[in-house]
Amino acid sequence: MTGGSALASKTGTTATMSTPRSRTEPETGRPLLDVRGVTMQYKTQAHLVTATYRVSFSVLQGDRFVVVGPSGCGKSTLLKAVGGYLAPIEGEIRLKGERIARPGPDRMMVFQEFDQLLPWKTVVENVAFPLNMTGKLRAKAADERAMHYLEKVRLTDFAQSYPHTLSGGMKQRVAIARGMAMEPDILLMDEPFAALDALTRSHMQDELLALWDETRFTVLFVTHSIPEAIKLGNRILLLSPHPGQVKAEINSVPRGQENSNEAAALGREIHDMLFADQIKKVPDASGE
Amino acid sequence: MLQANNRPNIYCETLGPDQFGIVEKPLTLAEQIYNKVWLRKTFILVVLALAWEIYGRWLDNPLLVPPFSAAVQALITDVANGTIPKRALSSIEVLLVGFAIGTALAGLLTVLAISSKIGTDFLETMTAMFNPLPAIALLPLALIWFGLGAGSLIFVLVHSVMWAVSLNMLAGFRSVSTTARMVGRNYNLKGLRFVARILVPAAFPSILAGLKIGWAFAWRTLIAAELVFGVSSGQGGLGWYIFESKNQLEIPDVFAGLLTIILIGLAVENVVFRLIEARTVQRWGMQT
Repeated sequence: MTGGSALASKTGTTATMSTPRSRTEPETGRPLLDVRGVTMQYKTQAHLVTATYRVSFSVLQGDRFVVVGPSGCGKSTLLKAVGGYLAPIEGEIRLKGERIARPGPDRMMVFQEFDQLLPWKTVVENVAFPLNMTGKLRAKAADERAMHYLEKVRLTDFAQSYPHTLSGGMKQRVAIARGMAMEPDILLMDEPFAALDALTRSHMQDELLALWDETRFTVLFVTHSIPEAIKLGNRILLLSPHPGQVKAEINSVPRGQENSNEAAALGREIHDMLFADQIKKVPDASGE
Repeated sequence: MLQANNRPNIYCETLGPDQFGIVEKPLTLAEQIYNKVWLRKTFILVVLALAWEIYGRWLDNPLLVPPFSAAVQALITDVANGTIPKRALSSIEVLLVGFAIGTALAGLLTVLAISSKIGTDFLETMTAMFNPLPAIALLPLALIWFGLGAGSLIFVLVHSVMWAVSLNMLAGFRSVSTTARMVGRNYNLKGLRFVARILVPAAFPSILAGLKIGWAFAWRTLIAAELVFGVSSGQGGLGWYIFESKNQLEIPDVFAGLLTIILIGLAVENVVFRLIEARTVQRWGMQT
């Protein structure tokens, strides 16, 4: 693989923004997830809608990469494309150099909807089920792994409960445990905290960061909340709406400073970029 | 007078749990009894039986309506001498075979229907054509094709079960949420494994409703078939028993036969299906 060539073609915007970042594990220079010039379209009854236009970014090992943008910027569509549920009509998405063609357990999804847990399985069965189904671990080993990750999200007491008896926040914690138990290459999170109340959401964000400190998993996180993006992400991708185009790719404030003046300034900056009355045209990433 | 901006802050002490009169107290015995479903249902049955008994005695014409006690006596006599159990068993045997084949075919048709558009069209057209067609109307043909005996009965049973069950199964499969489907695909589940592991459990409330309807249809069809073409089943089932008793003007026996059908229906509904519901959809919180 010629790893350097992919990184060389950067959009004008990202090039000015990107600064050298210190990595715990620099993966031989090649990004873990490489999204190159991805255009996504989908059809409604009457229209062909372009959701994103030539979006490029790359996620490195151990990144907490957050995609933020107003509704209609195609960020969920983009995440579904990384998940393998939708195919881009232009450009390509590579995970560890492999082109993504279909959904797979190397990219575990955590959805916004609470019904992502299978209601006919208990909490521990829900976490162990994908391990069993993909043949990653069998029976007892799968249960042990499931219990290990349930302990991480502090739900051991509810292991034998059925999902409908849990609160919304607990359901999302099970979904996160399920995603992490598979130890995927990348965890894809589609606004997982959007349906939670503000107190629970803030609590869940802290928990997710604590989990990241423990295991340093790679996560691609989609949200429409700027404060959430600043708090959770180490790298933030800004998408403009209709269709989604890369507005900027920036570093977030250091961990634990999400209430600082610096964070507030960054929040204002992101807000101005996303909601500026005149949306400046981002130069095409293609450069044909 | 207080101004809006100089209202004082108010802080209150809350009472401890021992300070309240009633936090939780058991319901009265009468309320507890009334809350028992089986008690309420038994009460309704007793009232109905009493009304029958009184009307029967007042009419005083056992050839038209024998009192409840006479019917029960006939039932006890014929159960004791083994007539009714033998007849019921022969009916149930045919019924179960027909029901099983019908359900299996319905499952096959529905899986075909969800895996291709032409399959859907096929199932929809077939159900539109055959669901309104009374199974009994096919019995003369069945008698020509399969001769006297269980074969033709099973044929009409399959016909009466299949369409109702497949309609419900298809509706159930279609109502499975997109999130649940995406979760299944995330685990690399495909084809029959996807159907068995995700679609069937997720659509189980509808499937169960379909099975119940199918069971009721099967019973009706079988008894009617035995009544109309009584001799068609070699050893003779409950329908044939009713038919025979009527010919011999043993009216209490006719009622005993009807009672048996009712009792079996009640048992299947309240024991078998109830048990399945309690073990599945209710435990999973998919039905309240």
